[in-house]
Amino acid sequence: MKLLIIEDEPKTAGYLTRGLGEEGYSVDHAANGVDGLHLALTGDYDAVVLDIMLPGMDGLQVMQSLRAQRDTPVIMLTARDQVDDRLRGLGAGADDYLVKPFSFLELLARVQAITRRGRAHESTQIQVGDLHIDLLARRATRRGRRLNLSAKEFALLAALARRRSQILSKTVITETVWDINFDTNTNVVEVAIKRLRAKLEYPGEAKLLHTVRGMGYVLELREDDAE
Amino acid sequence: MSTRSIAARLGLMFGLAATVVLAVLAVSLFLFQSYELQRHNRDQLSARLMIVERLSLRATDGEHWAYFRDKLADFTPEDGSLYFLVESSDPRFRVGTGFLDRAQFDAQAEGFGEAILPNGQRYLTLAHTLPAAGERPAVRLIVAEGQRSIEAAEWLLAVGIVVLSLVAIAAVSGLGWWIARRGLAPVDRLSAYARRLDARDLTLRLPADHLPTELDGMVMSLNEALARLQRAYEQLNAFNADVAHELRTPLGNMIGETQVTLARARSADALESTLQSNLEELERLRAIVNSMLFLARADRGESARDLVEVSLREETTKAAEFMDMVMEDAGMALQVEGDARARVEGSLYARAITNLLDNALRHGDPGGTIEVFIAETGDTVSVTVRNRAAPIAREALDHLFDRFYRADPSRTGSDQNHGLGLAIVKAIAQLHGGTVFAMCEDGYVSVGLRFPRVAALGEAARVGRRASRRGRTPRISPQPSA
Repeated sequence: MKLLIIEDEPKTAGYLTRGLGEEGYSVDHAANGVDGLHLALTGDYDAVVLDIMLPGMDGLQVMQSLRAQRDTPVIMLTARDQVDDRLRGLGAGADDYLVKPFSFLELLARVQAITRRGRAHESTQIQVGDLHIDLLARRATRRGRRLNLSAKEFALLAALARRRSQILSKTVITETVWDINFDTNTNVVEVAIKRLRAKLEYPGEAKLLHTVRGMGYVLELREDDAE
Repeated sequence: MSTRSIAARLGLMFGLAATVVLAVLAVSLFLFQSYELQRHNRDQLSARLMIVERLSLRATDGEHWAYFRDKLADFTPEDGSLYFLVESSDPRFRVGTGFLDRAQFDAQAEGFGEAILPNGQRYLTLAHTLPAAGERPAVRLIVAEGQRSIEAAEWLLAVGIVVLSLVAIAAVSGLGWWIARRGLAPVDRLSAYARRLDARDLTLRLPADHLPTELDGMVMSLNEALARLQRAYEQLNAFNADVAHELRTPLGNMIGETQVTLARARSADALESTLQSNLEELERLRAIVNSMLFLARADRGESARDLVEVSLREETTKAAEFMDMVMEDAGMALQVEGDARARVEGSLYARAITNLLDNALRHGDPGGTIEVFIAETGDTVSVTVRNRAAPIAREALDHLFDRFYRADPSRTGSDQNHGLGLAIVKAIAQLHGGTVFAMCEDGYVSVGLRFPRVAALGEAARVGRRASRRGRTPRISPQPSA
């Protein structure tokens, strides 16, 4: 998966390049609109992360010129939260839009969502350690023990399992499970995780659902916890 | 004269009005006077002719004629302003031959006529034919009166009228200007007061006493506007202080913790722990900044886009589903009563309901029921969230929707709650052209919002249509496939 980041702020560009690189993407970076457009038109990228405020040629112009020739998915970034910006960005053909300050996990989730499109459909059975999830039957079992999950608890488990070993932020979880796409101060996610954990991890069983402080939650079997 | 000054403009307009009126008056006066002069002149001429005619009656022979001629000579003044003439075919019975030969006029005509001497002197003439009598043939008596004096009188009259009119126009303009200045003195006073208004003393108002009635309304409106500005300014000041406080805490935590961590060599675990702690603080900052950006949208007077007519009951139930687990945990039940249809932006409405329920959970008595009432009243629909809670002071109720307002001044628990939840509810109501309200009675606290009913949503609906015409539904975030 090849990504292009067009961003003039060196620190932002730096951490995005590093972070996305470590997630397995091969990342190119352009620090201005003209270079960015050139790269986007000549390279074969799976997605472009495009800042709106750029020197020389701004993000919207890059977007328009790019769309005239290619269909590469684009996520636009802006420090402004003005409707006009958003409408113009989306009108120019951007596929998604993030307002700074955004969390890296959110960007990652969106990049993954965009690049996943068109990929062969996922399997309906997921195995994480001794946890087995049947997405079609909406049933989860652990060592043959059937987990008695409510619909939302199952949706939460499925979301975590689909991206096992990836950290899911609270925002991504509320979007995926509850279809809620705004910041909330509520502790709904914490409560839901607590309930899921209680049903998922009986005493003596390996821990599968981990909290990553300040970032979110991840479902995976860690070797040191396997005992 | 600059027409930017009201007084000058009024003076100028008075002057123009006076010019028009006086011009009509002057022309009328002149024509009337001049007509009178002419009439008087003719009367005089007729009277003179009558005398001469009577004198001439006896002058039918040479002796009497000589006497008559001497008489005429006596009547004729030296200055040439009046001539008594007799025109006749017999030269002996001619009088004033010099005039008769030199002047240009129709000596044969009867009645009034005009004569002009080669030197330009104009005369009004009156002629009357006497039939032949005795040895005298038929003669024509002519009285010619010089018009110089009458022309002079007319000229003097014209000049007089013009000069007096000019003086009057000037006087009216000047007086008009002065009167306007006097009349506008209160405005000057007001502007002098207004110059003193500035941000340093927001309590200053324009003096409303002893004002002409025309200015009363204006001054009152201005004072009300000043009061609103004062409130806004004070709110802004308080808001800045709150923002600073709210941002200072997480920033202080991060700086302090990072410095402590870097002061010694630390294990990877300790460094990781610091980074995680910093991340938590940063997430807090991000949430505040995002909320403030959102609030700024409503402040800019924006309206919600993508309005869709929905059943508020359904939308409320959907949004409440998100809070299910938390409410269950807190031992609270939810009850939604009533229904109404309104045009709302679904995600904004859900956010408002979530915040209201969160507020009820946070501050309500544990256990029991949270009730949501949806009702149509007049041209609004209201959504009220009601629950049992400790009573809230009247004064605190007024500030419930203020940014960063917390009834508890110690601001405990600010890591979870920035005090922006209800401010966001208010912003969402504003984005839909609605309002918010809060009540406290009989141990229940009711907080809610009102939207205009569908028909009254003109402006917001227009914006919504425009957005949807773009043929693409703008979405802030996609739904990651679940």
